[in-house]
Amino acid sequence: MDIFIQLTLNGLIAGSIYALVALGFNLSYGTMRFFDLGYSALIAVGGYTVFFLSRQIGLPLPISILIGTIMAGIAGYIIYLLVYVPLRKRKASNMALLVASLGIFTVIQAVIGIFFSSQFRTLSGPVDAERIFHVFGGSITRIQVIILGTSIVVMFALAIIFRFTTFGKSIRAIGDSEEVSKIVGINTSRIIGYVLFIGSAIAGLVGILVGFDTGITPTMGFSLLLKGVVASIIGGVGNVYGGVVGALFLGLIENYGIWHISTEWKDAIAFGLLILFLYFRPQGIFRK
Amino acid sequence: MSQVRAKDLTKIFNGIKAVDDLTIEIRDGNITGIIGPNGSGKTTLVNILTGVIPFEKGSVIVSETKREKVKPFNIHAYGITRTFQAVRLFEQMSVLDNILVVLTERNVFSALFERHKIHHISEAEAILKGVNLWEKKDDNVERLSYGQRKLLEIARAIAMKSEIYFFDEPFAGLFPEMRKIVIDIIYDLKIQDKTVVLIEHDIELIRGLCDRVIVMNAGTLLAEGKPEDVLKDKRVIAAYLGD
Repeated sequence: MDIFIQLTLNGLIAGSIYALVALGFNLSYGTMRFFDLGYSALIAVGGYTVFFLSRQIGLPLPISILIGTIMAGIAGYIIYLLVYVPLRKRKASNMALLVASLGIFTVIQAVIGIFFSSQFRTLSGPVDAERIFHVFGGSITRIQVIILGTSIVVMFALAIIFRFTTFGKSIRAIGDSEEVSKIVGINTSRIIGYVLFIGSAIAGLVGILVGFDTGITPTMGFSLLLKGVVASIIGGVGNVYGGVVGALFLGLIENYGIWHISTEWKDAIAFGLLILFLYFRPQGIFRK
Repeated sequence: MSQVRAKDLTKIFNGIKAVDDLTIEIRDGNITGIIGPNGSGKTTLVNILTGVIPFEKGSVIVSETKREKVKPFNIHAYGITRTFQAVRLFEQMSVLDNILVVLTERNVFSALFERHKIHHISEAEAILKGVNLWEKKDDNVERLSYGQRKLLEIARAIAMKSEIYFFDEPFAGLFPEMRKIVIDIIYDLKIQDKTVVLIEHDIELIRGLCDRVIVMNAGTLLAEGKPEDVLKDKRVIAAYLGD
């Protein structure tokens, strides 16, 4: 029973990280309609900004975390303005945008590697991240509690923005049809810019949280993005709430799946699940 | 006075001129009907005037300002709105949200924190009641019938509070009671001194509703003028109305 509780806790923690990635990815995909690989590099931007500010400059951790999150958001917004806006104006295909995003991913990853090396780093600070709590026979560290709590807060905040604000309605409208949104007077390019800022800030936050839990590397974002995308497909691509459900489902299945086998099988289970969904329910748990 | 003019407008699709050196004017406060056989370029013309597709040659003059390009995002600023031949709604949203989304704060940053206020809901209520859709306000638009979808798209255009309304076949596929609702809306716009452009195949509706008619054939202007004159024109009868 204890192992079941532990796997459930691990699944929820992994799922909440995937949920944040899926949220950010779905925000970007839902408005721009292409697979933004550059998003994964912003995860590392958040982690390394906090590493630089807190460990190398010596800024207080809360300020470093705040700046790290905003920095990832600004990076995402600048990429949008400098790369995606001109390409979209030229009616670039989704394939061209994908290749451009691959270029962005490579550049950001390389720049981080140049400044900080490709070595594994850890984030730490006054937060007693390793303090362990016992829940129904399972164990969870303080940073993992913070990950769960942060995910829940971000999810609720986005749900409120989506459901109740005019901004949220505009995002949903653009997700349906950018052209009609323009015709009814929605400033689509600015809204998409803000959406990318929010999505990128979430990516940065993911990088920071994961950095405190397991550490940071320049390539850390790619595997997280893949899991976020798998979660999105399982939940229903473009469906923000579906992505969250898909992420929790993925996190739990991944962890229950390794009950009697090596943890190395985690990725195989995740992508096996993806193939099953693509084959039997390509629209995901929830339709868009 | 003309509110929208197309001057020497040309649009080419795969080497074929869908709109061919066309010059027309849409007069302020009038209901103008655009008719013509299928493929005559009516919808292409409206798509150009509303920025949905670019044009190769010519210019569009809106309220005396010449535009070499019309972008979809700009048409709201020009006071133009439209509906589509194949209804285009925001499918993920409820009926009410399809209206509320256009009754919004245009400043993006304040929209981030803005919630729809009571006056927005009241406005949406009045508009939806006008098309008998208030009862369906919480339904997802996917659950609406074809006619109801068409009415909701028209209601969304009304919510835009524009000066110029392009309606692309607004009566197609509607039951008589729904047609009456649309007729009332168009008359109401006329009373408010708005400019309405109708693409329509029903000649009796055109005759009854329109102040002016533009007849297109093969991307060119065949005739224009008052319905009673244009619909008697031998060229129009030969090209479009038959015997």
